[in-house]
Amino acid sequence: MMMPFIQVNQMSCSIKGKVILTDINLKLEQSQCVALVGPNGSGKTTLGKALAGILPFQKGSIYLQNESIKEKSLSSIGTVIGYLFQNPEKQIFASTVAEELSFALKYKGFPADEIEKSVDDMLRRFELNHLKNASTYFLSQGEKQRLAIAALLMNHPQYLILDEPTTGLDSKRKEQLGHLLDSLKDKVGMLLISHDKSFIRRHAYQTLKMEGGQILHD
Amino acid sequence: MTKALDPRTKLLIVLCLSSLGLIITHPILLTFVFLVGLLISMAFKGDFFSLIKRFKKVLYLFIAMIILQSLFTTGGEPLVEIGSVTLLTTLGFQRGFGYLMRVLIILVCGIIVATAKMRHMVQGLVQLGVPYDFAFMASIGIKFLPLLVEEIQDTFVAIELRGIDFKKLSLKAKLEIISYIFTPVFAGALMKAKKLSLSVECRGFRAYDQRTSILTLKMNSLDYLWIALTLTLTIWSLYLYLIY
Ligand SMILES: Nc1ncnc2c1ncn2[C@@H]1O[C@H](COP(=O)(O)OP(=O)(O)OP(=O)(O)O)[C@@H](O)[C@H]1O
Ligand SMILES: [Mg+2]
Repeated sequence: MMMPFIQVNQMSCSIKGKVILTDINLKLEQSQCVALVGPNGSGKTTLGKALAGILPFQKGSIYLQNESIKEKSLSSIGTVIGYLFQNPEKQIFASTVAEELSFALKYKGFPADEIEKSVDDMLRRFELNHLKNASTYFLSQGEKQRLAIAALLMNHPQYLILDEPTTGLDSKRKEQLGHLLDSLKDKVGMLLISHDKSFIRRHAYQTLKMEGGQILHD
Repeated sequence: MTKALDPRTKLLIVLCLSSLGLIITHPILLTFVFLVGLLISMAFKGDFFSLIKRFKKVLYLFIAMIILQSLFTTGGEPLVEIGSVTLLTTLGFQRGFGYLMRVLIILVCGIIVATAKMRHMVQGLVQLGVPYDFAFMASIGIKFLPLLVEEIQDTFVAIELRGIDFKKLSLKAKLEIISYIFTPVFAGALMKAKKLSLSVECRGFRAYDQRTSILTLKMNSLDYLWIALTLTLTIWSLYLYLIY
């Protein structure tokens, strides 16, 4: 039998002795967009981090493509999963926009002209052309958000975990992001953590509700 | 009991220890200064060994540097020889050992300072006549350090999540990435400090020229005892050292 792309079994997680997630069971398929909603502090971000392998958990297991996530290195997870931090500033580390986008390809040894081309392409898709050589510190919130998502897509991940991707985006940019996600849907699975009800209704295939560190099943 | 020692007394002790560490060059005497510092930090219930554990990686780097430096020092009697090539001379060994002791003395001083409460340290500095702004800034700076470390760790996570295995990169690429990360991290810290000072001012910090404080530090007899002891010992050992 085929295992789902990501499978979580009876996973519990506590940080500094405080239980944050309890008995999470979850199956996520590629080519599906699942939304994760819930009140502040319910554990959505924590679950997303655990799925991306950033956060160690104590009980249960998480499988990514049939392999326990604990056995995988962050870099090998990163080639499969694109994880957007709730605070995009956390993942922007280069000093200019173009450097941020070319970073991964550069260290994977792609030829310079090819990198240049895909960077320009991505800049266009996210309407960031005019900021190509701008410093990343002075970008607006929405620009940072778009840059962070664009940088993830440079890697062509098979699955996206997006922690509140629409925060800080104006309605036009939100719509564009929606179109972009729709265009990826056939190839890329998504977990969409969001408080944006209309965005979820429009783009998610299924909605999971979290409360108090548990996924509610109705 | 000793925990209640005035932060100013601790500052004086640290000042004496570090000046001794600077002036003295003899490795055995430096070891002695370090041991005295270690005893004092233990008396204040500072935990030297857990600090060593936390800074293990940095210390390795230091020790490697020290070893390299001793290897390249010529002069003195040969200590280790391979064939006719002198690897290590007595002078090289002495210097390297001296450096190591100095690093350890600095660490011990840091621990002694850390046993005082931050609020008390600021107050101690203020009562020593340091302007409040400076004292406050110094305390904020110290609080920023762990944040900086966290930020660097986060950045590494973000980089690995881009599918880059840092361990497998060439040395050149590693250095490139490190240099390339540190700029944004420090720039980020500066920006954060700027924002912090703005928000602090927005809340009316420094609204009045004269700050009063509910906390005033008073030295007690124990403080005077420590101060007298520290000063006598320091001056006495410096005197002996400079004479002989
Ligand atoms: N590093 C940490 N140390 C201590 N507690 C933490 C830590 N990280 C998260 N928590 C706690 O875990 C709980 C869940 O946090 P989480 O960030 O996952 O919530 P969330 O559902 O993403 O909320 P929001 O909608 O506000 O983003 C919170 O109560 C939070 O205080
Ligand atoms: Mg969250």
